[in-house]
Amino acid sequence: MRIAALGALGAVGAALSYFAAGPARFWVNWIVWMLFLASVGLGALFLVGLEHLFIARWSVPLRRTAERVSGLVVPAGVAAVAALGSLRVLYPWTRPEAAAKAVLAAKSAWLNVPFFCARTLLCAGIWAFSYRFFLGGSLSQDASKDPAMNLRARRFAPVFMSLFAVTVTITAFDWISSLQPEWYSDIFGVYLFAGVFLSGLAGTAAAVLHLSGRGRLPGVRGDHLYNLGALIFAFTVFWSYIAFAQYMLIWYGNLPEEIVWYKSRVEGRWLPVILFLALLRFAVPFAALAARDAKKDGRRLLWVAWLVLFSHWLDLYWLVYPELGIGPRFSWPEFSFALMFVCAGLAWMRRQLTLGEDMPTGDPFLKEGLEFRL
Amino acid sequence: MTEPSAARAWAVIGLFERPEDLLRAAARLRGSPLGRVQAYTPYPVHHLDEALGLRRSPLGGMVFVMGVLGALTAFAFQYWMSAVDYPIVTGGKSPRSWQAFVPITFEVMVLFATLTAGLGMLFLLNRLPDIFHPMLASRAMEKITRDRFALALESSGGQGVDVDAAKKVILELGAQEVEVLPLPAPAPAAPLNFLLGLGGALVAACVLAGYSTYWVIKLYPELPPMSHMERQPRLNAQSPSGFFKDGRGMRPAPVGSVARGHRPYLIKTPEEAARLVNPLPRTTETMEKGRVLYAVYCRVCHGFLGDGRTTLTSAYGAKPADLRIKRLALAPDGTIYHAIMVGKNAMPSYAYELKEDERWAVIHYLRALQRAQDARESDIP
Repeated sequence: MRIAALGALGAVGAALSYFAAGPARFWVNWIVWMLFLASVGLGALFLVGLEHLFIARWSVPLRRTAERVSGLVVPAGVAAVAALGSLRVLYPWTRPEAAAKAVLAAKSAWLNVPFFCARTLLCAGIWAFSYRFFLGGSLSQDASKDPAMNLRARRFAPVFMSLFAVTVTITAFDWISSLQPEWYSDIFGVYLFAGVFLSGLAGTAAAVLHLSGRGRLPGVRGDHLYNLGALIFAFTVFWSYIAFAQYMLIWYGNLPEEIVWYKSRVEGRWLPVILFLALLRFAVPFAALAARDAKKDGRRLLWVAWLVLFSHWLDLYWLVYPELGIGPRFSWPEFSFALMFVCAGLAWMRRQLTLGEDMPTGDPFLKEGLEFRL
Repeated sequence: MTEPSAARAWAVIGLFERPEDLLRAAARLRGSPLGRVQAYTPYPVHHLDEALGLRRSPLGGMVFVMGVLGALTAFAFQYWMSAVDYPIVTGGKSPRSWQAFVPITFEVMVLFATLTAGLGMLFLLNRLPDIFHPMLASRAMEKITRDRFALALESSGGQGVDVDAAKKVILELGAQEVEVLPLPAPAPAAPLNFLLGLGGALVAACVLAGYSTYWVIKLYPELPPMSHMERQPRLNAQSPSGFFKDGRGMRPAPVGSVARGHRPYLIKTPEEAARLVNPLPRTTETMEKGRVLYAVYCRVCHGFLGDGRTTLTSAYGAKPADLRIKRLALAPDGTIYHAIMVGKNAMPSYAYELKEDERWAVIHYLRALQRAQDARESDIP
């Protein structure tokens, strides 16, 4: 009830900001939060797909939680379709003068409004379908105990992985890169993927710790948490590696069409933001999770998970917001959007956490997963 | 003869079939007063360290410290080389660009950390190769290296293990077989064969490597290394190139461009140049600088004393000026400066060899040379 009230308050603020602060600021915030929901959902979906692809056993007790978190791709897909309204406001390649620029004219086969809309619908559709496929099979297994579901999921997993790679790359290029359409970076899709998987892991870890704190995941022990923590640790380093690799190559080459993107993101008032991001997203989680026992410590893992989620929002903010050209700002429109989307996400998660059993009780590997020792 | 020696042994070994049995037995035997509890397994068994009550391995801390040291070493070394010892501007970047140091810092950190982990684990902590360990003399070792898990009560401090009591305890814990290693600790027979084999293998490897190196060098005396950078299409200085329409590799400077630090010399005649005034003070420093530059650029033709006695052979043909003659001794500095700038007779311009203040320093030194050849008594201090 409180969530609904706060969310409604946020929604009113967000709607007001469209008129008071301008549509550009409204849509920038919208896109940041749409990408945030999509990231958490997709990352969790990737974890589910990973389990089926590698026939992992340790994560079976956590899979239902990951499947539930991955449901965030549904509101994210809806938000993405709604965000198509931002194309004419934010994206320079939609403007008529873009045809005069040779670079943009050459890219117009990819960057045009009908194709962009088609890609967005396709991505949202693929996410929703994959989510329904994994979750639906898993839920039906609760009652039927039919092991055939595992085989079907296992066959679909490699297909899903390919689709996932393509859709994440498309999302990164379309929604973020094309805000500055002259700029390009091949690695950018991987950059977003690192954040996606990291936030999916963090979302799953937060949900797992929430449930196990209420005794709803009996048998989930430090060994399972250790693996989640180790993955968060690994992908913390992976994100830093990719982020620095992209930055260093562009900094070294210093080519005008590449460096301009960083010029508006690491200079002036954005410099403290990126330094803060490096601290929050690399230094703190790295130090917090480096020791072996730290990864088994539920309380520590919980705050690291929330920190990772926050820093993913900050990362997206840092990626998208500079296009407004007003420097880093966090005022009432941003606050309203945060309120609205966080409340919407939590409300959706509250619904998701009632789906089926808390663990995939029909999965033949559940016992093995519960017995998992490091 | 207080106690028969057969009743005490160096170790009593129990063999188990499954790692779970070993874990359970190890946890029960932990802290036993009979002797030191040791486990031997064909592969690392997780949680065995907890069951045996071993203290935490210091390896993690060692790796952390060495990793930090590696990163600091690499960063400091690169910074010193690039920014302190020999600063060169590369690609328009500051010599202090920390970004360029990060990849090597990272790699050296990984190198230090992994070497510490691997070598520290093998040699420092596990003290391998421990080829004189008494356990290697046991029959059980053959099974342990295959598919059995062993728990041993070992003598600590040399007084041995009570065989009967130890056997009883280990069999109660569910061991399938028990072996007793007698006192004194047996020396394994294997090491001699092992050492001979190792030595033989090393000799064979050396011989093989020597012969193959010899024959490879003999058969392929020249193996071009990676040459794709050498062979890539590029522009060479002073060479033609089909890339540009005019067929020249070097590009003419854009119209109106001025080289950094360049000041155009607009004076046309020696008379005009006579107005120029030597801006340098006549100090010991300037003289020394002029002396060095004269030796580098002027001496070969004009001679050690400026007397025009060249060190070149007569094949050179030209006759360099004697700089001591009265006309030149009385000529204003500007006239000589003009000769350096535009050349005179066979002498080419030295405008590119000498910078502006260097030319004036040479002229100061030249004045000293002229005066030295025509010194008066009053010049002696």
